[in-house]
Amino acid sequence: MTRYFEDVTIGEALPSVAYPLTVYRLVMAAGTNRDFNSIHHNSEYARGTGAEEMYANTSFLMGTWERCVRDWIGTEGTIRALRGFRMKAFNYVGDTTTVHAEVATTRVEDGLGVVEVAIRCENSQGVTVGPGVVEVTLPRREEES
Amino acid sequence: MSHSTSTSAATDTGWQEEWQPVVDAVGRDFLDGVITWGGDPVEPGAIRRYLEPLELDCALHTDREAARAAGFDDVTMPYTGVMPWTLPAAWEPGQVLFDSYDRDAQPVRSAINDAGLGIGPRTTGFFGTDVEIDFLRPVVAGERLGRRGKRLLSCKPKETSVGRGAFLTFESEVVSDRGPAASGYPEVVGRIRIGTYAYVPHAKDGER
Repeated sequence: MTRYFEDVTIGEALPSVAYPLTVYRLVMAAGTNRDFNSIHHNSEYARGTGAEEMYANTSFLMGTWERCVRDWIGTEGTIRALRGFRMKAFNYVGDTTTVHAEVATTRVEDGLGVVEVAIRCENSQGVTVGPGVVEVTLPRREEES
Repeated sequence: MSHSTSTSAATDTGWQEEWQPVVDAVGRDFLDGVITWGGDPVEPGAIRRYLEPLELDCALHTDREAARAAGFDDVTMPYTGVMPWTLPAAWEPGQVLFDSYDRDAQPVRSAINDAGLGIGPRTTGFFGTDVEIDFLRPVVAGERLGRRGKRLLSCKPKETSVGRGAFLTFESEVVSDRGPAASGYPEVVGRIRIGTYAYVPHAKDGER
């Protein structure tokens, strides 16, 4: 289903996405996004670097933001920028990281419907990544008529 | 990543002075504009595997016909794929990657782990702290991506709960080996700013 720019309202919440961070998922993520830093798949090694446990890597967490936004914008939306992706706390294995997002601003720019989505990751300890912004474009109804 | 600052930092600042050469190097491109190409072109199988742990379900990435119907030549790379698809190969023929029998031994080289800058203190701990990316256009299967340059934008020494080190931010261009001739070669398809914390971990209790 197409999501049109004109149907978006500021403050509108995007469906949240929960990621239980199992060892299996983190190992799978490291293998596919090529971040093999041992802090992301080896608890003993991670503890040796000062962390409490192995934790999710940056690429994976960026991907969780993309998943949350892509689920909402559909195939006709585009992603233009990702900002404020700041790691505030480790996303440890065994915890659940949930992506929460809402529409922050909307504007028409060079004929494009531009939406800034405020987004963050949270786990049992609070916000772990962000809050940041994913800037997207959505099709406009006027373009179709 | 924010961590509590140790009180010992106020009385022992010699370690901070070791970072001064790095602070002085802000603005320098540590790769002199050289392009580091990703190990492989973007291809559908690797895209599919990238989606799996994310459970990211979008036909543009998995269904060639759907992607073509949307105006693309092939399936598109998830935008955040600029991170893995600009990483160089971990190993190449003729190289030795593993030279230790230790259980937790690290590879001889890694594009992810901190390779050091050739200046400043030697650090053994490293993690990403923040990222900003501008995506100038979608990337399609078949393209090969790379990162051009590694310009140091900032260096802020700081002691945190995990160790003593510095927060560093670098900027690179994301380039593609494809693109219209008018765009020039290679075409710039994005810009990425990566923040890291490189540090010397605190000694564990009993090792101090």
